[in-house]
Amino acid sequence: MSGRAKFVVVFVKELRETLRDKRALGMVLLFVLMYPMLVGGVLQQQISRALKPEKEGIELTVIGAARAPTLMTQLKQKNVNIVDAGPMTEEAITALLRTQKTAAVLRLSDTYGDDYRSMRPARVELWYDSAADSGRKVGDVEQVLRSYSRTIAGARLLAHGVSPATLYPVQVQKYDTGTSASRSASVIGTMLGMFFIPAFFFCLSTAVDSTAGERERRSLEVLLAQPAHTRDLVLGKWLAASCVSIVGLTLELCIAHAVLKYLPLEEIGMSWRLSWLDLLLVCATSLTLPLFAAAFEIALSINARTFKEAQTTASFAIMLPIVPVIVVPMLNLNTAAWMYLVPVLSHQTLLREMAKGQAVGVLPFVLTFGASLLLALLCVAFTQRRMQSDRYLMSI
Amino acid sequence: MIEIHDVTKHFGKVHALAGASFVARDGHVTALLGPNGAGKTTLLRMLVGLLRRDGGTIAVDGVDPGKDPMTVRRSIGFLTDQFGLYEKLTTREYLRYFGQLNDMDDAALARRIDEVTELLALGDILERRAKGFSQGQRIKVALARTLLHRPRNLLLDEPSRGLDVMSARALRRALAALRADGCCVIMATHVMQEVTNSCDDVIVIAGGRTVAQGTPQSLCERTGIASLEDAFVKLVGTEEGIAV
Repeated sequence: MSGRAKFVVVFVKELRETLRDKRALGMVLLFVLMYPMLVGGVLQQQISRALKPEKEGIELTVIGAARAPTLMTQLKQKNVNIVDAGPMTEEAITALLRTQKTAAVLRLSDTYGDDYRSMRPARVELWYDSAADSGRKVGDVEQVLRSYSRTIAGARLLAHGVSPATLYPVQVQKYDTGTSASRSASVIGTMLGMFFIPAFFFCLSTAVDSTAGERERRSLEVLLAQPAHTRDLVLGKWLAASCVSIVGLTLELCIAHAVLKYLPLEEIGMSWRLSWLDLLLVCATSLTLPLFAAAFEIALSINARTFKEAQTTASFAIMLPIVPVIVVPMLNLNTAAWMYLVPVLSHQTLLREMAKGQAVGVLPFVLTFGASLLLALLCVAFTQRRMQSDRYLMSI
Repeated sequence: MIEIHDVTKHFGKVHALAGASFVARDGHVTALLGPNGAGKTTLLRMLVGLLRRDGGTIAVDGVDPGKDPMTVRRSIGFLTDQFGLYEKLTTREYLRYFGQLNDMDDAALARRIDEVTELLALGDILERRAKGFSQGQRIKVALARTLLHRPRNLLLDEPSRGLDVMSARALRRALAALRADGCCVIMATHVMQEVTNSCDDVIVIAGGRTVAQGTPQSLCERTGIASLEDAFVKLVGTEEGIAV
């Protein structure tokens, strides 16, 4: 006896093959770097948008400003910068708006002053480009025009002895309770879940190649005829694929942690209150996710006749754990214990709770760790049973 | 020595084996002839204990592969037409992998790798990865793997399929050496010439049953036909499963 357990022999051989597969390693590296960078980039963008002063001045080009000095004063008071312009053709206005140097163009009609004085509706044209990203600014200008119009109307009614209140049978008061934090909460929740998805990609190549690939190349037949139990073969292949994924996921989480710690997340009402010790705990709890990912993919690949077939099947199946990660944050549910029983969703929920800086308790860790482990073992048991069945052994 | 007696096996309603019996003696190369679907693969997989039989007895050097597959597999060298090499492993790593799976310790393994390297002239490809090996190099590596743990019984499943002349000769030489060594060799094949050249004994199976066993000459005499190919056709009642 060599003293080496057979599953270790298989494990070492599969790992050696993976380490020599440049494409598989490239994929691992890509996901290790890509996800944290992607999430970091998106968050950075949100932060810089949030940091932009809420009320920066609105640039408004006005044609014939001299005809309405009171209106201009009103606009200036509302933080609108008025650029006086001479008469312009419609084409010139359109061209000006396209440059996005001005939020809108206000054109006062030639008869504005006369109409105003003789109490006829004085025409004001508001030109804007709805395709440009200035909807809020145009809305603000409109608001000023409307309130100006209402003030004048009120004054005129008052002059005729009518209370301006008759103009407002209904009074609308608006309250906006939305904060940037609540808006981004569901987006960020999904992002945290996305950190764990690569666990399924890291091991894909190894899992598929060591099962369906080996069957396709017909080396499985020889391997099964060796004095090694199916249990040892499955165990070795499973652990090899898992190992790749464990290394990948741990690296990726560390990079993600560094990125999130670096970003000033408070600006968008989010927090990342994890210490490196917390992260270590998350990584340890997440050890079973790669075990499940690899076992799941091997269980699927075992039935495929070719590498390609297995890869396609597995790629589709990976969508399965992604669905709850995207859907559940959208549902705005309160955190519940069952969430810790679904792989990936459980990791996402755990990370989100920890990011808030609250005490999470032991149960979520145990459930997250245990649920994935249990599913992994079920997949391995299935694979072993399947590989020992007559039907499988006749088809290799 | 491999003895099988009245072995039956069915998959659902299909009877893959319906009472196959034969004896493959030590120091003999025994050809296993039969049309496609005759049950050759089923039989070979049963001999290494991968498939369970429904009835009958099998003994490989007196051990039942259904009861103790690990002992039987340690005494068997298994060679298929696909050779089962791993592209990313060197020949030495490949041999070490299978040596370890066959419970060989490191010292014995290193010694034995040196021996098979010399026997099969693998020196130039020992440290090379299998990717890009020619068909001849592949069969040599696969043969080395088959012989590595000094099996007393060899199961060869159409080993000569797709071989060039040089590789076929290498295979034939290896067979002769094994026979001289007193090994029991069973070779499933479609190639009649190979049977005439290398085999001492022929077993013909058809429809999951043994229809004849004997030397190539005795089969010809029994059917009253001079060529083995024609004799085979007469025995199984079909031309399927013959390659020239």
